[in-house]
Amino acid sequence: MNEPLVVLDGVQKNFGDFFAVKRADLTIEAGEFIAIMGPSGCGKTTTLRMLAGLEAPSAGDIRIGGKRMNDVPPHQRDTPMVWQSLALFPFLNVRENVEFGLKMRGVSTAERRRRAFDWIERLEIGEFAERNIETLSGGQKQRVALARSLITEPQLLLLDEPLSALDAHLVIRMQGVLARLQRELGITFVYVTHSHSEAFAMADRVVIMSQGEIAQIGNPREIYRTPANRFVAEFVGRNNILTGTIESSDTDQVTINSVIGNFSAPTEGIHQEPGSLASIVIAADMVRITREATDAENTVVATLISEEFVGSIVTLFLEAADGTEFKVQLQERALTDLDVHAGGQFHLSWATADAHLLPENNG
Amino acid sequence: MRRLNAYALTFRLPIIIWQAIFFIGPLFFMIAMSFFLVKNYRMVEAFEFKNWDKMLSRNYVWDSYWYTLGLAALSSAVASLVAFPAAFALAYRSSESVRRWAIFLLIIPFFTSYLVRTFSWYVILAESGVINAGLGYIGLGPYTMLNTMFGTIVGYMTLTLPLVVILQTVSLASADRSLIQASQNLGCPPWRTIFAVILPAAKTGLIVAALFAFILSFGDFVAPYYLGGSKPPTLPILIIDTTKAGQQWPRAAVVAVIMMVTLFVVAFTAIFLAYRKRGSK
Repeated sequence: MNEPLVVLDGVQKNFGDFFAVKRADLTIEAGEFIAIMGPSGCGKTTTLRMLAGLEAPSAGDIRIGGKRMNDVPPHQRDTPMVWQSLALFPFLNVRENVEFGLKMRGVSTAERRRRAFDWIERLEIGEFAERNIETLSGGQKQRVALARSLITEPQLLLLDEPLSALDAHLVIRMQGVLARLQRELGITFVYVTHSHSEAFAMADRVVIMSQGEIAQIGNPREIYRTPANRFVAEFVGRNNILTGTIESSDTDQVTINSVIGNFSAPTEGIHQEPGSLASIVIAADMVRITREATDAENTVVATLISEEFVGSIVTLFLEAADGTEFKVQLQERALTDLDVHAGGQFHLSWATADAHLLPENNG
Repeated sequence: MRRLNAYALTFRLPIIIWQAIFFIGPLFFMIAMSFFLVKNYRMVEAFEFKNWDKMLSRNYVWDSYWYTLGLAALSSAVASLVAFPAAFALAYRSSESVRRWAIFLLIIPFFTSYLVRTFSWYVILAESGVINAGLGYIGLGPYTMLNTMFGTIVGYMTLTLPLVVILQTVSLASADRSLIQASQNLGCPPWRTIFAVILPAAKTGLIVAALFAFILSFGDFVAPYYLGGSKPPTLPILIIDTTKAGQQWPRAAVVAVIMMVTLFVVAFTAIFLAYRKRGSK
């Protein structure tokens, strides 16, 4: 049988009148690193908890390794979870925490101690093995939680916003640790987060959820370059969204008409009737910004409102004549020729090929 | 030296004065009194070890001591075990409002005098009481329950059980629930969670509850006297008997000091165990 490791087949979960997950269809292959991302209340954590058996689906099936798991209680699954709160046992020391899963499976004391030390060493917390949990730092606790979940060498590891409580510089380091572990162990990771940077940095595929439904599934590049709908385009951020009525549409190219001008995008096989509303998306790093007018395909004149520096990347926020907001992302050194100051007028332009027509106009 | 904060001191002063007048003062007086002498049924100030010699060399004092200690430990254990299922159900299997009402109802017994509640057991436990009448219908008994150790324990439970249930409920309810889910996620079956996670997580509250049961039972006079028939006598009964027999207040003070020291040791040990953490610092 060649079924994927995890299959969610029409999974639904409601708490009374509230539908936490309206419908989820998802397959996860063995060895994949999947990130489930969305704003709070989108159903991502509920989905993860259903995989762990901590919630039972109201409808639909969950299959893991080909076996229907709907009614299997959590302790009979091997789906360890790294908790947002970490949920380390404060009454056990580091080594005892790590050993817990093996102890529950009746592994002998000597054997589980040996394996616990292997994992403790692997996660570089050897010197804290006999320490009280409360004496560790956030990053060290994180490593204990990982070791505790991985010691049973599961096929599937569930992670619920594991890095959300850490300092920014530790997040980057732990991302490296997680990505390396996943690669070396070949374990399937299902990683729930609301952070784009975490999801895009580590995951093979990203699942975007919104209001209990899956909005898009794809690799980070697909999600970023070709968002499936307005929600995804806005949620991943740094996208410019332009809405207008369709002026013309042929096999290759569609042109929309808005107050600030006409803009074109490749049709990508989608046909929309002229006169209907449509939106196109241009990623902020695809927009060129100049002082002088250019003869590019798509151009807009806009006024600079503010700028934001993150490392060597700068994001400029501009406003067109009708109030449409534009974001432009460029390298910090590119600014020197540009003479940026708030209130300055700039010409924005982009290639038609870099624009993306939203398949459906739901906004 | 840190300057004394006048504001903080003002608010601390009443409790300090209260403790000094009504606890520390009498305590030192009691210790002093244990060295006094009684002549012609009258107490005279002295500093002699006669009372200590006499009380510590008597077997019946030691018998009573070990009996009382054992009885209080038994009471503490029985109260903890009987209370646990109730506290567990209230903490994990009940809604917030049920828990609130249950705790309110558990406080109600304290509205009536402990003595009245103890005497009401007469009607229930007596040879011709409610229980034996009931058992008589199915051809059993009658059983002697009054003036036995069973009677004493029933009395102790009247005193301690509501408090122990409340303390256990509060400590179980405030234990981190995500730990329970985490343990099941790591392969721990529900029944095993009680021993592997819930008991250790609620340890502090459970030990404090047991300690309260011990302290209340150890010093209780009513249950062993009225329901236990005062045979063999516990230390509180011994104190009453000693004061009645020839105005021997100093000898009673010796027993009282011994009880205080015992309670100090037990309480310190319990608190140490309750707050002990795993692993090195």
